[in-house]
Amino acid sequence: MGNELNRRSFLNAAVSAAGLVAMGPLLSACGSGPAQRAGVGSEAALKAVLPAYVPNTSIKPDIPSIAGGPDVMTNPGFLSYPANRVATVSGIPGKGGTYSAVTPLWGTIPPADNAFYAAMNKALGVQLEMKPADGNNYNTIIPTMTASKRLPDWIQLPTWWNSQMNVGGLVGNQLADLTPHLSGDNIKKYPNLAAIPTAAWRTGAWGEKLYGIPSFATGFQIAGTLYFRRDVFDAKGITADQVKSADDLMKLGKELTDAKNGVWAFDDVYRYLYTSFGAPLKWRVDNGKLVHLFETEEFYAALDWNNRLAAAGYVHPDALAGDNANGNTRFFGGKTLISSGGTGTWNLADLQAGRAADPDYRRGAFNIIAADGKSTPRVDMGAGASIMSYLNINMKPEQIEECLAVANYLAAPYGSAEFTMVNFGVEGTHFTMVDGVPTATEAGKKEVQAQTYPFLAAPAAVVNSPGVELVTRDYTSWQAANVKALAKPVFWNMNISMPQAQATADAGQQVEDAMRDCIHGKKSVAEVKEAVASWKTSGGGDKLIQWTNDNVLQKHGTGQ
Amino acid sequence: MTTATPTRPDRGTRPARQSWRVRLRRDRSLVLMTLPAVVLLLVFNYVPLFGLVTAFQEYDPLAGIWYSTWAGLDQFQRLFGDANFWNAVQNTLYLSFVQLVLFFPVPIALALLLNSVLSLRIRNFIQSVVYLPHFFSWVLAITIFQQMLGGAGALNHFLRNNDVGTWDVMTNPDTFALLVSAQVIWKEAGWGIIVFLAALAAINTDLYEAAAADGAGRWRRLWHITLPGLRGVIVLMLVLRLGNALTVGFEQFLIQRNAVGYDTADVLDTFSFYYGIATGDYSYGAAAGLFKSVISLLLIWGANKLAHAFGEDGLYRR
Repeated sequence: MGNELNRRSFLNAAVSAAGLVAMGPLLSACGSGPAQRAGVGSEAALKAVLPAYVPNTSIKPDIPSIAGGPDVMTNPGFLSYPANRVATVSGIPGKGGTYSAVTPLWGTIPPADNAFYAAMNKALGVQLEMKPADGNNYNTIIPTMTASKRLPDWIQLPTWWNSQMNVGGLVGNQLADLTPHLSGDNIKKYPNLAAIPTAAWRTGAWGEKLYGIPSFATGFQIAGTLYFRRDVFDAKGITADQVKSADDLMKLGKELTDAKNGVWAFDDVYRYLYTSFGAPLKWRVDNGKLVHLFETEEFYAALDWNNRLAAAGYVHPDALAGDNANGNTRFFGGKTLISSGGTGTWNLADLQAGRAADPDYRRGAFNIIAADGKSTPRVDMGAGASIMSYLNINMKPEQIEECLAVANYLAAPYGSAEFTMVNFGVEGTHFTMVDGVPTATEAGKKEVQAQTYPFLAAPAAVVNSPGVELVTRDYTSWQAANVKALAKPVFWNMNISMPQAQATADAGQQVEDAMRDCIHGKKSVAEVKEAVASWKTSGGGDKLIQWTNDNVLQKHGTGQ
Repeated sequence: MTTATPTRPDRGTRPARQSWRVRLRRDRSLVLMTLPAVVLLLVFNYVPLFGLVTAFQEYDPLAGIWYSTWAGLDQFQRLFGDANFWNAVQNTLYLSFVQLVLFFPVPIALALLLNSVLSLRIRNFIQSVVYLPHFFSWVLAITIFQQMLGGAGALNHFLRNNDVGTWDVMTNPDTFALLVSAQVIWKEAGWGIIVFLAALAAINTDLYEAAAADGAGRWRRLWHITLPGLRGVIVLMLVLRLGNALTVGFEQFLIQRNAVGYDTADVLDTFSFYYGIATGDYSYGAAAGLFKSVISLLLIWGANKLAHAFGEDGLYRR
């Protein structure tokens, strides 16, 4: 029976993929016409439905969270794995339903029907068929599912692909509205979900309704920052905290570059530095007028500085040749000493990989600076979460409630009994405790370490590096020192779904291209200005600014 | 001169057409054997042609082809007014021309050279060595070039340590055409000789013996026997190359686009990718692709005509 069903669904899937191009028109013809797009909703109406926030107090972190401004706080830190694994869910959440789930996986797909899935199904009380899909091709796998309207019951759609996967068009058409189940005090039925900060729920909201279930929510979301080799800096007696301006950085470039020995001070840093020059992330409101990044003087100042950095010979030649994939290898190997990247890089795996290349390896990050050295340093904060799962619109209300109960289990806090089960598996089978650190067995490496369930729901992010206190201490103290610099950009945490022509202008490919050549020293700032001028007229830039002003700023405000 | 050459049957003397039933019975095993290929061709080459309709729409993947707004020739109007597009066309033609001049003769020369090596063992060895790079991916090929010639590569490391100025050819837009031609020669020249070697093997060795007996030297034999024997194949390859003049490769330019800049490295295929697919502007990419296909068709038709005018077979016999 099971086999037969599988084969049939497999055949259906094959047909829908092979016939996609030919039958596209027919498939859409069966639908109900052009889909409605959800966009930004009214601020007041959205506030009325956002879930209540009830922090979890059952497990105390070693380094508590520090609040910055509204919606801003550092991630709490754990120096060791909590010894007392408290249970936060009583009883079994599920009622025996069967659901399929698709999540992205950047790694080796674990064997289907493995012991870990079986143990999880038993603990959850549902038959959850996990179907992890290759993360590197995930953005091309999902559109074939949505085009044939064959989404699974539960699916992960990372927010950085929102426009490519057209999530704004899918919510309410193929993805279920969770507002009746989660809004306001309704969420208190699911205490672990209620412990997820409000900003993250807002990221999953479209047009005044709640759709997404956030994983790894954080109050310290920034695009990334500038890193340095702390071990090398310490050995040379350089104090990174003394770097307070773009000029200071440029001086470091001269001091650290030793091309003869194959060492360059910098890798590509533009992407995480341009806002230090006072440029907006993308939008700014000047005296009530909406201004795009490309229209600001600060943007050109940032380009000019990076252009000079490259021309001075302080940037590694491979970085200038556009090779970003090996940036970490260069940094680990000490070929570059200052690099940039997302904050997700700063973890235990990074330390282990770095120490494999150089036993002294230690990562450090510069404090957020203002390029002129005088203004108040600020960094634009991002949305409350970037991993977001959704339920299928065809599910009945009681099925949705069952899945939310499962999500509540998956979102149990760091160090709890449930968290240990979801992330490490069954003790004795998938992991053993070694010096107080849960350590994966062979079975655990194969079945559990490839993360699947946390992509459906997970607790708010914490900093931890079991077994090595250094990383947690370094990272949490950097967050604490910089939490005051986080500020909300214009249109913060607003899901904007724009027509294709505007989306194309928003991507601004021709300016991106000119910009990259400029920061690599191949084009002048004046040439970028020319590219911007043509982007504004023939590239749809002016229309984009007008559209955003009329449809977002005037209707919904800045969201700050 | 009615049926002088048995290899070219005269059209006038063809037997009366038999009924299709008889012909089907006679050829059924042949038809059966070609069927899978025809089905593949239909499914992967002809059916997707319907997707071309998106070039005339404001295609929205969620609405589907059926419900996307009709745009008429708007995409083409935008395309022809786009300086980046014309830049990509220009780059494509220029790179294609440089490769035609620099790359095209190399496999022929290599084939002739290999053919003149008598020792089978040495010949097989050389052949394997020059074949090998064909099986590398472009990522690997360019990484090897970067490790050797890049700004932090072996050559520049040597130059720098000896206080001679550096020479970063990997990021120099002015020499990019030469660089990519060198890469293509290194990677594909060995593979390209296969067809010429086959043509060389087909030349009747009696001709060489007779010429040698008449006192013709090495060069005279090359000029009067080998090259005329290869002429048909060379013209065929040239026709194909001209027809593909707008297809100079994709990965090679995609990977190196950031190194030398888009205005040097963007060819039509990367243009469609960056300005069409990558930004979700599918219709625009489709329009650029359609433009390329139409021009390619005209080119291949013209080149074939030219081949016929010179008395060669071209893609097919007249």
